[in-house]
Amino acid sequence: MDRPADIVCDTLVVGGGAAGVAAAAELCRAGLTVELAEQRPALGGAYYRQPAGRAAGMQAGDRRARQWSRLEDELRRAAVTPRLRHVFLGVDTDGLVLLDDRNGGRVRTVRTRAVIVAVGAVERVLPRPGWQLDGVVTAGGLQMLIKETGEAPRGDIVIAGNGPLAVALAADLARLGRPPVAVVEAGDPLARPLAALRMAAFPGLVAEAAAHLVRVRAAGTPWLRGSRLTSISREDGRLLASIEDRNGATRRIRADTVALHDGIRPNDFGLPATARGEPFVLRAGDCREALGVGAAEADGRAAAREAVALLTGTAPRRHAPEVSRQRRAQAVLGALFKPVRDDGGLAALPDETVLCRCEGRTVGQLRAMLTEPDPVGPREIKLNGRFGMGSCQGRFCADNVQALIAAARPGTVAGPLSRDRWPARPVLIAALAAEEETREE
Amino acid sequence: MVVVGAGIVGAATCYFLSQRGFRVRLIEASAPASAASGAADGAVSVASKRPGPMMTAALAGIALYRQLERDGLFAGLFKSRPTMMVAENEKEAEKLVEHSAALAGEGMRLRHLEGGALRQHLPGVAPHVRLAVEVGEEGHAIGYEIVRRLIAASGVTVERGVAVTGLAPKSDGKTVTAVRTARGAVEADHVVIAAGGGSAALLGLPDATRPRKGQLVVTERSPALAASLPGSLMSCRYLLSKDAIRAASAETGRRFGLVIDPLRTGQFLIGSTREEREDTGNDHDAVSRLLASAVKLMPALAHLRAIRVFAGVRTATRDGLPIVGRMPDIENLLVATGFEGDGICLGPLVGREIARLVAGETTELDLTPFAPGRFEPRSLVA
Repeated sequence: MDRPADIVCDTLVVGGGAAGVAAAAELCRAGLTVELAEQRPALGGAYYRQPAGRAAGMQAGDRRARQWSRLEDELRRAAVTPRLRHVFLGVDTDGLVLLDDRNGGRVRTVRTRAVIVAVGAVERVLPRPGWQLDGVVTAGGLQMLIKETGEAPRGDIVIAGNGPLAVALAADLARLGRPPVAVVEAGDPLARPLAALRMAAFPGLVAEAAAHLVRVRAAGTPWLRGSRLTSISREDGRLLASIEDRNGATRRIRADTVALHDGIRPNDFGLPATARGEPFVLRAGDCREALGVGAAEADGRAAAREAVALLTGTAPRRHAPEVSRQRRAQAVLGALFKPVRDDGGLAALPDETVLCRCEGRTVGQLRAMLTEPDPVGPREIKLNGRFGMGSCQGRFCADNVQALIAAARPGTVAGPLSRDRWPARPVLIAALAAEEETREE
Repeated sequence: MVVVGAGIVGAATCYFLSQRGFRVRLIEASAPASAASGAADGAVSVASKRPGPMMTAALAGIALYRQLERDGLFAGLFKSRPTMMVAENEKEAEKLVEHSAALAGEGMRLRHLEGGALRQHLPGVAPHVRLAVEVGEEGHAIGYEIVRRLIAASGVTVERGVAVTGLAPKSDGKTVTAVRTARGAVEADHVVIAAGGGSAALLGLPDATRPRKGQLVVTERSPALAASLPGSLMSCRYLLSKDAIRAASAETGRRFGLVIDPLRTGQFLIGSTREEREDTGNDHDAVSRLLASAVKLMPALAHLRAIRVFAGVRTATRDGLPIVGRMPDIENLLVATGFEGDGICLGPLVGREIARLVAGETTELDLTPFAPGRFEPRSLVA
């Protein structure tokens, strides 16, 4: 309460991807003092993830790489020294921002007037029977691993889900000489000519996608469009993925790694609500709206300008044409990759499907709670059902639990399961405990 | 019957009334266990009590948990474990010796541990701990789980999100006929107010209770470390803290008690502060100090990660005793609130006793010390 903060600054930017770096540079230009916190050992975020240590890693394509080096230069000129390996935990009731400094092994308190949270999106992964097995990863997670290490996991890889990232990952794997054995895609972009036409307005994206597809084709990887991975089991030490095509025919593919991906979504897990008083809390980039790297820089700058307006008492205005353009692009991509058939979604999952992987809670256990005569609310479901009570704090299940609640109770709006209480990430007690014990007496 | 409040006391009252065949409506402003019952440390314990009515009540409360566990109602929800009261310095050791003598005087079974025996029994506690007193036959229960079980067993459908705005007294002022809610009046033969911090205003006892916040921390699972601790560790500071709270000079202060409780899940629950405020936020200052004391007492905790912090608001009373019983001069209005940090321990017991009062029976526990008449009521009719 009365202890001084470890760090004092006008503004704090959390997240060193394109959005965060652009925001930090912009704030500096406005004459404010800026701190930039990044949880990884290097800046870059998800898209510009840098190789770890001495690994070769894998870099973004040329056009994008120029953007990153420009942003890095700008940050250098602004003389912002990022605090690396500083994990954002949240804002406490005294208005202090808490950063878990993994270098120093201490939680640092920051007294600041405005916080721009730019921590990136959350990858969506829909539950399927067997998705909790070892060897099942997220496609985004696998892509990060490749960017950091320049290596793919051993054995056969299947990528499954929905959206353009699967093809991008397949292309990355092909570049490493390790193309996946199959890419399973719920949509069928080649059968959406209208959406494809509208893509012409975004030549950069088209060029990128074409390059990926050519590479995947050349590697001989089958792109199973209009198909879904319905379940995963373990057999003889390997994974067995069941794939159902648009006609309902099932085939099985053996693999050592299954990478799942069902799109990305904004991130509000454990993040503080947008605040109207000091410290102001704003969001930027994919964590505000999942529009991808194309919008990140513009959105970061827009958030910075908004923060400056709030701090100087002028009317905040968020105007960013590039963000609007990328929003249109994402809408077209969504139409292009629209799943070819409705499989009933979560409602069709068998009872034994694990819903919350941290606590091992199943779809059936949730359904049982929802059919009780007493209509239990979301918080009761969370606490007593232990959904979203594990270490990930609902990052991977809160959405799905909410969707199932809504499906079971048509017409009602289920309250949120996640919460905005710190710590947003588990934190070592040694780092969080005060250095000196305070005794009263 | 109308019970106002679906915390542990209201849920238990509802359960025991239903068991007797009464038709009960359980009205809740928010959701079951949404306030203190859902953010409590879960101690079902007598260890920190002094001889007197609260100790008597706590002993009866623990006995009822055991009975309900045997009967199946609380099966799997009550973790039987001792409380290990530990002294970390001379002053605390003196306090602990004095306190344990008082407990022993009440016939409680205690075990004193020092030196080698202490190290052997509690390998995880820091070397500077000089004395531990084991208070056996206690336990731990998670408030929201107990509330859920009680409500399910009652067979009632909780009327969620219905705030009670007042009571409708008869013109003579000697009975109430209904409770007023945003959705209209709900008539009742008997009304039980178990609305925690919201009770006093409904009853016209505006200054009888006050909020007292506590902040707590939950760790990740560590089954091996949790198994190495035979019971909860309670710093004797808890006793000092309680003393200090009683002193008028400490009214605005923030006090730190410390209990480290190994849970069924292999997680640890670490609590808590006593703060004269009613928000449920968490601040770094309080949490970091709490954890510093926890690590000092049990160094291996430093290697675990905290996954969640939360805060609950206890309903405390001016004299430190709960308010339980019939309202003076209003024959069909009963109250049960003001349990401060003892709601989980006493909730089921009080529910049973309230049901007895409603049925016109003599209570098993002497409720005289908790009588609402000790506070000056303001007329409900006014």
